[in-house]
Amino acid sequence: MLLFRSEENVNAWCAAQNIPRRPLINLEQLWQLAIHWYANRLTLESRRPGPDEMVSIFASLGLTGPFWDPKSDQWK
Amino acid sequence: MPDRDLDTEVKLGLYEITAATGQVPNSAQVSRKIGLDESEVIAAFAHLHGKRLLLPEPGDPTRIRMAPPFSGIPTKFPVEANGKRYYANCVWDAYGIAAALHCDAMSHASDGQTGEPLVLEIKNGRPVPQTCVAHFAVPAAHWWDNLIFT
Repeated sequence: MLLFRSEENVNAWCAAQNIPRRPLINLEQLWQLAIHWYANRLTLESRRPGPDEMVSIFASLGLTGPFWDPKSDQWK
Repeated sequence: MPDRDLDTEVKLGLYEITAATGQVPNSAQVSRKIGLDESEVIAAFAHLHGKRLLLPEPGDPTRIRMAPPFSGIPTKFPVEANGKRYYANCVWDAYGIAAALHCDAMSHASDGQTGEPLVLEIKNGRPVPQTCVAHFAVPAAHWWDNLIFT
């Protein structure tokens, strides 16, 4: 994933790379993802979220649909 | 010792060195840190890769390319925290280093299209507001297919 100053810059990058425009997230959403994934990474209890847990985390941040579903087969 | 315990010991040793030094250690360094034979550490690296917790350097099982959120090599996402420089694998992981270390952090990144320098900062447990956005080019179902690209 890449960071952009604006949505316009995302659109220009996608056009230049001939890559479909995908979902965008803001920095607050990104910070919440970072906390969910990494806040206990240096501890004994550390583990990676499972697929269903990932879907739940994404949904809590308003990120829904097959793009955010690690079990989706829509993208094969 | 069961594999799971060994894997955990190796993982914690690796992250402890990384947090303390800013450098992701190789198998020899982890071996010295936790007092295990290096071959066992390399085996644990492979197990942890299978669990999607580490990514060994392609072609070199003694080195780690990614110990998320940390990168084993310099990247475009350097993070300053606790008086050290770390490298993140991506913009998510740049914030992830602050989350993992539970401290303020500043990351220097750049706009993916224009190259304009951008600064991401975590202060007092919150991101300093900016109008930037992150674009995910790869759907979640394929993040692990090519993690270096993702």
